[in-house]
Amino acid sequence: MIDIQYFVDYYNDFPFLVKLVWIVSGLMFSAIILLTIYLKVIRYYLRKKDKEFTKFKNEYEALLVEYLYADIESEEFNKEQQAIILKIKDHILFKNKRKMIISILYNLMNEVSGEMADSIKTLYYKTGLIDYALTRLKNKNWYIIAKGIGELTRFTVADVHDDVIKFIKHPKREVRKETQLYLVSLYHFEGLSFLNELKEPLSEWDQVQLLEILQKLDDQEICDIRPWLRSTNDTVVLFALKLSQIYNQFEVKDSLMDLLSHQNKSIRIYVIEVLTHLYGIEAKDKLKANFNDLSIEEQISFFGLLEKLVIPSDEPFIEKHLFHKNFEIQLLALKILKSINIDKFMGLNNLPTHKKSPAMLKLEKIA
Amino acid sequence: MNTSTVDIILHLFHYLFFTYAVAAIGSYIILAIISGKETIEYLKKNSFVNYKDILSSTMSPSITIIAPAYNESLNVVENVRSLLSNHYVNYSVIIVNDGSKDDSLEKLIEAYDLEKIDYIINEKLKTKPLRSGVYKSKNPAFEKLMVVDKENGGKADALNMGLNISTTEYVACIDVDCLLLEDALQKMIKPFLEATDAKVIATGGVIRIANSCVIRGGKLIDVNLPKSLLVQSQILEYLRAFLLGRMAWSRLNGLLVISGAFGIFDKKIAIEVGGYDTETVGEDMEIIVRMRRYMEEKGEKYKVSYIPDPLCWTEAPDSYKIFISQRNRWTRGTIETLKKHRKIGFNRKYGSFGLLSYPYWLIFERLAPIIELVGILYFVVLVVLQQVRWEYAVSFFVLAYLFSVLFSIVALYSEELTFHQYKKKGNGYKLVLLTALEPFVLHPFILYAAIRGNIDYYFNKKKKWGVMQRKGLTSA
Amino acid sequence: MSKNKIVLAEDNSTLSLLLKFRLEKEGYELFMAVDGKEAIELIETHKPDLILTDIMMPFVSGLEVISHVRNELIIETPIIVFSSAGQEEMVLKAFSLGANDFMGKPFSPNELVIRVKRLLA
Repeated sequence: MIDIQYFVDYYNDFPFLVKLVWIVSGLMFSAIILLTIYLKVIRYYLRKKDKEFTKFKNEYEALLVEYLYADIESEEFNKEQQAIILKIKDHILFKNKRKMIISILYNLMNEVSGEMADSIKTLYYKTGLIDYALTRLKNKNWYIIAKGIGELTRFTVADVHDDVIKFIKHPKREVRKETQLYLVSLYHFEGLSFLNELKEPLSEWDQVQLLEILQKLDDQEICDIRPWLRSTNDTVVLFALKLSQIYNQFEVKDSLMDLLSHQNKSIRIYVIEVLTHLYGIEAKDKLKANFNDLSIEEQISFFGLLEKLVIPSDEPFIEKHLFHKNFEIQLLALKILKSINIDKFMGLNNLPTHKKSPAMLKLEKIA
Repeated sequence: MNTSTVDIILHLFHYLFFTYAVAAIGSYIILAIISGKETIEYLKKNSFVNYKDILSSTMSPSITIIAPAYNESLNVVENVRSLLSNHYVNYSVIIVNDGSKDDSLEKLIEAYDLEKIDYIINEKLKTKPLRSGVYKSKNPAFEKLMVVDKENGGKADALNMGLNISTTEYVACIDVDCLLLEDALQKMIKPFLEATDAKVIATGGVIRIANSCVIRGGKLIDVNLPKSLLVQSQILEYLRAFLLGRMAWSRLNGLLVISGAFGIFDKKIAIEVGGYDTETVGEDMEIIVRMRRYMEEKGEKYKVSYIPDPLCWTEAPDSYKIFISQRNRWTRGTIETLKKHRKIGFNRKYGSFGLLSYPYWLIFERLAPIIELVGILYFVVLVVLQQVRWEYAVSFFVLAYLFSVLFSIVALYSEELTFHQYKKKGNGYKLVLLTALEPFVLHPFILYAAIRGNIDYYFNKKKKWGVMQRKGLTSA
Repeated sequence: MSKNKIVLAEDNSTLSLLLKFRLEKEGYELFMAVDGKEAIELIETHKPDLILTDIMMPFVSGLEVISHVRNELIIETPIIVFSSAGQEEMVLKAFSLGANDFMGKPFSPNELVIRVKRLLA
């Protein structure tokens, strides 16, 4: 008792600042204790969740396989399947289990198609999982909405189109993107019509995802992409260029030629690549004519085009650029020259060393 | 001696230390809050991402993994195999054998059926010459792999060779002894592709400590907490640095360093700025600072991104000797980089880079050990002069200690609520205990190594170069 | 007649379970691997009559499995590879290494059964 009294007195004699420091320290100490206890709780909970995760995963995978094979046996909906559906219906009342089931189905939809994908979809409807996805759309958090749309996309739920489409102008880009993916997954090239009035940039990531969806479709009937090549949104133009490359759009060559003088450099460079892919020899004269006004990257791309589409009459142009200031162009020019006029190429060996380009010297070293 | 002058000096010191301490603590709190916000945002954003598409798409951009290897014969074959099995379509791997004196090259040739090929290198960056040349596999199953055998020039030089050879848009620079998880490239490339308003010039990854973890077949099978207190403490330190520090700086777009063990760069810009600096021991920090500086000077909007997922695992030093020499090198790297680019500091022209990131690094990273040392010396002087006001000293010491424990616990929370890697029962207890011990078992050595780094930098130039020459490429 | 043996290497657990049941129903004996390394071990011990492998797998890829079977073990066991859309180049490589058939993901398990039967006929 005396001790405590002694400390109290001692404490009371402290200057204000020291008192404050002790009070703060006391608070921090309590916080540390509380947080430590709570950490234990969290860790316990997380471990339990992990264990359940493995358990449920095995259980539901087996259940799912059982369900899917019951289908093969008989055409109509059999008893076994009914029982499984009822069981799943019970389980999805719990959030954790629901998440687990959805993730298994979701991953499987990535891998299988045809009748099996259809049965998974039926299961998705019959168990009422779809209703949970629909309630997500009404959530006020953007990431839950996005998740909901993503799920509807994966299970190709077409009948909620009207509920989803209203998110196409959502302020959050992730939600807009999921909506775009939904539209394209369900309506294929027609779904791309959102590009017509897209003001925001379409990121590379978005483009890759859209292209992946399109390429997985059975229906590869592409629509007219010319309006997008003329879009004022540069990222839409770039996307349309990718489409014209993947789907070999020879018929849009004229639009591509126009893009050679687009004000955006990355578009100009990419157009040359697409034209290379589409055998766009028409581009040669135009590019040769203002070659010196092009940026280095465009010049390199153009030599890439020549490498593929060269004809003997290009020789003077190639020769002119054997000593271009850029090493890559020197090298490409040499390669191209070798392919059209091997004698002249060999003749370059006779040049005195100080007159050779760096690329020639490098080539020599290797040979 | 005039007592009043001494008094004034003492007072000045008091206020200086006090202000510094308050500023440091304040900055930690602010960083922790920002990182919390950013982490939540990151998790939300990634809760519905389907990486499957990017992984299989041929339209996804191409990446080259550049891994310099120096005397790695023991593990090089296994390590390369794990690099070759990343889940991404458009990527290749360049192993730069940086003048190894062991049989690394022979082992690689044999394991991967390599043959020498003619390869014209566009020498955009000056490097040490090739030694025996460039190799590719005869087996199409290993088509992604290229091995370059060059004369020894250090890690930066080897990376520059890789930059010269790579033909892809992006390069991933890594330490060959790191274990990359199979989804590493997909996740790390995302920031580059997502950005539309600013150009992403580099993305950094988290480094996790692999000591005691079970790795089988290039896969992380089991995460364990190592027995050694030193390694455990480093785990805690890394959690704090990556989950709280870097996450916050990434939000502020103020990252000055991407760990040399794993980062992806926009190759064009990395080459335009001249590649890695071979003259410094801190090439990983230096190149980021230089790339940022370049973008600022060009007046282009840019961002250095950061992905907090545990994608890259590496062995941390498990002996105090190696640990101290590692930190000594880090210190010298920081000093060199900040000195080389001192023009940026407090320069309004460089925006928040010059007014926030650089000063922060200078004051709270570069100068912290020196200020701490001065503080300790000052305290000793006070003790000798019997000038210590113990009620202040003790209370502030307790406060500082409790704060550091609390901060570490916040880092633990951040780990548990996000990636939750140390799942095993009992690990939690150990980690909490560690938050209390770490200030005594790790911090003094960090301080010592940093001071040694300063001394070596300023007074021991020979050592500076000597270490550089001998420097292996392992993070240890 | 003994059952035809099949080694299946696939890292998606649900899919591999699904295929296992489907193929076992058709009367095949299945050996499951989650990566290429395991697949090679299974192939070496069980000498299967058919190999099904995903191209992109951790550590040892499907391509390496094919290469190992054709160049190291030098056996002509038929191989079907699974690939995702966009991996055409890999599929070409797989064929050049000696794969017999390929299925693009997502695929229908029924179709797989048909192809398996054809190769084992």
